[in-house]
Amino acid sequence: MLHALRRHASLVVIFLIAVTAGLATLQLRGAEAFMTALWHAWDLFLFIVPSLVAGLLLAAALRQLLSPDALARLMGAESGIFGLFIATLVGTLSPGGPMAAFPLVLVLAGAGADKGALVAFILAWSLNGFQKLLVYEAPLLGLDFALLRTLITFPMPMIAGWIARRVPIAWEPPK
Amino acid sequence: MSGPQIVLWVIALAVLALCMRRGMPQTRRAVAETNRGFWRILPMFCVALPMAAFLSELVPADIATTWLGDDSGLNGIMIAALAGGVMPGGPFVTFPLVITFSKAGAGVAQMTALLTAWSVYALHRILTWEYPVLGWRFVALRLASSFFLPVLAGLIMQILLPFFAINLAGP
Repeated sequence: MLHALRRHASLVVIFLIAVTAGLATLQLRGAEAFMTALWHAWDLFLFIVPSLVAGLLLAAALRQLLSPDALARLMGAESGIFGLFIATLVGTLSPGGPMAAFPLVLVLAGAGADKGALVAFILAWSLNGFQKLLVYEAPLLGLDFALLRTLITFPMPMIAGWIARRVPIAWEPPK
Repeated sequence: MSGPQIVLWVIALAVLALCMRRGMPQTRRAVAETNRGFWRILPMFCVALPMAAFLSELVPADIATTWLGDDSGLNGIMIAALAGGVMPGGPFVTFPLVITFSKAGAGVAQMTALLTAWSVYALHRILTWEYPVLGWRFVALRLASSFFLPVLAGLIMQILLPFFAINLAGP
C-alpha cells in the first residue's frame, strides 16, 4: 500500500510539472515548438526502449542467480579493504530500484555485513549501479562520459565505507 | 541499435542462459519480472520524457553558462552538487534533464557533480526509503562518510577533462 503510494506520488508530481511545462511551451514558444518537443520525447523513448528491456531482463535474471547470504559472510567488520571491495562490487551489480536495494541492506546486515560494508554497498548501488549506467547514462550521455564518470566514482564507495567504520555512529538493523 | 545496446543485450541473454541452466522455474520468473518491471516503468517514461523535452524548450540557451558553465569552476561544482541533491525522481527524469542543462551551457565537471550528488544525497530517496527502512542513524552514518564525494568527483572530472573530448549536449 505504502509502496504504491510512493510510486504514484512521484508519477503525479512529474505529470503536473510536465503539464505545466507543456502549457508554458505552448504559450511562450508556440505550437511548433510544442510539437518539436513532443517529437524529441518520442525519439528519446524509441532510443531508450531497447536498452530498457535488456536492462530489466539482465536485472531479473541476475536476481535469480545471486545469493546475498553467501556474499554477506565476506563483508564482516574484520573483512578489511577486501570486504569493502566485495560490498562495492555487489552494490554495482545489484539490480532494481530502491524498493529492492534498501531491504537488501537489511538482509546483508542480518547475514553478517558490518556498517562500513553496508555504506559501501548502498553507495555503489546508487552511484555505479550497472542498470542505471547501461540503460540511461551510456545511451543518453554517451559511452565516453559514462565510462569516465564511472571510473572516477568506482572507488568512492570503498573510501566512504572505510570512513564509516571509523565514524563514531553506532548502527543496529531495526528489528 | 547502437553498439552499447547490442553489448547489453548479449550480456542479458548470457545471464538468462545461466538461469536456464539452473532450471525452468528461475527462467520463467526472470521473464515474468522483466515484463512486470516494463509495465511499471512505462507510465513514468510517458510523463518524464515530455517533461524534460518541454523544459529544454523553455530554458533559454546559455542560461546555465554563468552558473554552471565550464568556467564556473569550484563554485559551479558546488551549486550543481546542491541542485543534484534536491532533484527528485528516478533516472528517467535526471538523465534527460542533464541533457537539457548541457544544451543550456552547463559544464561536464559540473554535471558530474550533479549526477554524483543526485546519487549520494538523494533527498527524496532518504525520505521515502532510507530513513523508513534503515533509520536515521544509518542516514547520518552514510552522509558523514560520503558528503564530500560529489564535489570531489566534479573536481577530478575537471582535472581529467582536458584529456578527453566529451560533449553532453548531443548532436
